[in-house]
Amino acid sequence: MRFGDLLFMSAASLWKRKVRTILTVLGVVIGTASIVVMVSLGLGLNRSTMATIEENGGLTSIEVREANSYMEGDSTNQEPKRLDDTLVETLKANPHVELVSPVLSISVIAKCGVYENQLEIRGMSGEALEQMGIPLASGEVPVSEDELAFLYGNQVLAGFMNSKTGAGFWSDGTIPEIDFEKDAIFLIYDMDSYYNSQGNSENNGQSVKPPKKYLANYAGLAEGGMDTYKSYSWYVYCNIVPLENHLKRIFKGKLIPGQPSTASGKPYKQFYYNEIYAEVDDMEYVGEVQKWITDMGYQTYSNTEWVDSTKKQYGYIQAVLGGIGAVSLVVAAIGITNTMMMSIYERTKEIGVMKVIGCDMKDIRTLFLMEAGFIGLIGGILGLLFSAFISLLINRVVAGMGMEMGLSYIPAWLAGASVLFAVFVGMTAGFFPALRAMRLSPLAAIRRG
Amino acid sequence: MKNTAAVITVKDLYKIYRVGETKVRALNGVEFAIRRGEFCSIVGASGSGKSTLLNMLAGLEKPTKGEIVIAGEHMERKNENELVRFRQAHIGFIFQSFNLMDTMNAVENVALPLTFQGMERKKRTKKAEAILDMVGLGSYKNHKPTQMSGGQQQRVGVARALVVEPEIIFADEPTGNLDSRTSREVMELMQRVVREKRQTLIMVTHDNELAGFADRIFHIRDGKIIKIEEQMGRETG
Ligand SMILES: Nc1ncnc2c1ncn2[C@@H]1O[C@H](COP(=O)(O)OP(=O)(O)OP(=O)(O)O)[C@@H](O)[C@H]1O
Ligand SMILES: [Mg+2]
Repeated sequence: MRFGDLLFMSAASLWKRKVRTILTVLGVVIGTASIVVMVSLGLGLNRSTMATIEENGGLTSIEVREANSYMEGDSTNQEPKRLDDTLVETLKANPHVELVSPVLSISVIAKCGVYENQLEIRGMSGEALEQMGIPLASGEVPVSEDELAFLYGNQVLAGFMNSKTGAGFWSDGTIPEIDFEKDAIFLIYDMDSYYNSQGNSENNGQSVKPPKKYLANYAGLAEGGMDTYKSYSWYVYCNIVPLENHLKRIFKGKLIPGQPSTASGKPYKQFYYNEIYAEVDDMEYVGEVQKWITDMGYQTYSNTEWVDSTKKQYGYIQAVLGGIGAVSLVVAAIGITNTMMMSIYERTKEIGVMKVIGCDMKDIRTLFLMEAGFIGLIGGILGLLFSAFISLLINRVVAGMGMEMGLSYIPAWLAGASVLFAVFVGMTAGFFPALRAMRLSPLAAIRRG
Repeated sequence: MKNTAAVITVKDLYKIYRVGETKVRALNGVEFAIRRGEFCSIVGASGSGKSTLLNMLAGLEKPTKGEIVIAGEHMERKNENELVRFRQAHIGFIFQSFNLMDTMNAVENVALPLTFQGMERKKRTKKAEAILDMVGLGSYKNHKPTQMSGGQQQRVGVARALVVEPEIIFADEPTGNLDSRTSREVMELMQRVVREKRQTLIMVTHDNELAGFADRIFHIRDGKIIKIEEQMGRETG
């Protein structure tokens, strides 16, 4: 028989038994829909986690820190291994490390008219700043090593407070009227002296000269509103080379805040970094590189462990959810088998006649397999539509709760796979009935009735 | 006419059914030959083994013992698949209870054996329509079986058996469900068609009058052919 005729005949026979077909299809619809919804929930959870991870610095970056910076108190006889340019060079030599940048961070006071804020400045190499790919609302990344200019995170503005009224974004929601590009922003690097000068004037009346203010050059502003948090939102970035030069000029041999000192309290000649940022070429090697650095005696952070554990966790959730769906589909499959058996029982005579007038055995088998496959196909498609609808509802609900990305996510592969799977289940369920139909004796068939 | 070439040869045919302890000898040593273009009827009392013989000739049932050679091929040696293929090419079958497909109209029913052969729609429809015209149902082409009388349905059944232009047509009491006048009409139709196309027709019937349409009448009793009656004046076939 021709394929088209086979399709037509099996479809016609389903059509003839509409009510039963619909009921059987319903089982598949429910089974497919539950699998798809459950898997989509798992995928959606996974996706939103991945997005969070991306926001928190991506999957290939490693943060290197001093090993025992937090227990400095009891490391009396042992100098902590500091982060210096030698280490930067060592890291650069590793073939899997694509980019290394020291991070020199320093807290400063920023003043702009009546507004005041404490900023966290992070000096990094121009290359690293570019690699971070911070989307800019205006300006550019401060790559120049000659001039000190600052790139502001999108939430930095929110930290400015009116020093007279105390009004600010966090206290009463007013957004400070500051234009980083046009307004003059002054930075005070020597915070200790600054606070001393302020405190003294109030308590002792003995005036201390306030430290010098420096005008901050504008480089750029990160894109995003006051509410969109990204890993860079709170920081002010600049190129590390001019920052170091600038700091040396300001403090002139005195101890720069945040830098370690010798036992006698003298500053070191070179800069030590708070952090070194390293970018690995592939996620696969993050663990390896991390171990290498840890073995050298430093502390490292990356998102890999977090990713691995969340992945595993979501894998379990998905397996469980998918399993529930699978069970319902198995039930649907039994329904299909039952329907097909009934259909064959009813049509024994018809099948017998077909055999007598020359229908190939394998065509009979194909007819019944197709019928079962059709039930799977229709059920799969309807189930998919149904689950898309449910998914929409779920996402509506969680969007109302502030999850803009949505909890349920049906990628194309899931849609395709679910329909294919439903067809497969249908055909599997129809396999034995089809064999049975094929083997019916034509004689027994025509004798009946 | 030289019709000596036997299209069906049956030798020493036995069919024994085992029902519990007892054995039923449905066919008990049958031998005959049928020439091409012959119209034979098989008559006998109920339970004498007529249907059993016909089913065995059509390859619907395996003999217990013996040989059936049709168009040079041994039916008893074929497996079920081969039998289906053989029927597709050589055999037409007319049922007592018509056995038309309820969901299909007359043309589709008649074209069904061609569909099974894999013939394309246009071609098979054309052929089926031509045969329906021939059996006098030209104006009932789009009627479903439920919209036709018994006689009309059996004409569709005859047309369906003829559409593949088989060498041999088997009919088990084709008029069993029809009244005597309609039976005669259907018999005349079958007789005319097989004469025209020189097809071999083997028909089982209870009715001696209808059996008289045939060239030869096989009388069967208790699984044995007791008499073969040559119809005089019908040798011209
Ligand atoms: N499957 C079977 N199992 C057991 N016995 C059978 C079977 N089929 C037929 N018989 C027996 O074989 C014998 C011949 O049956 P068959 O159907 O050939 O009779 P028949 O001549 O066609 O009768 P009728 O005119 O009533 O149709 C009967 O005795 C019947 O009981
Ligand atoms: Mg009978």
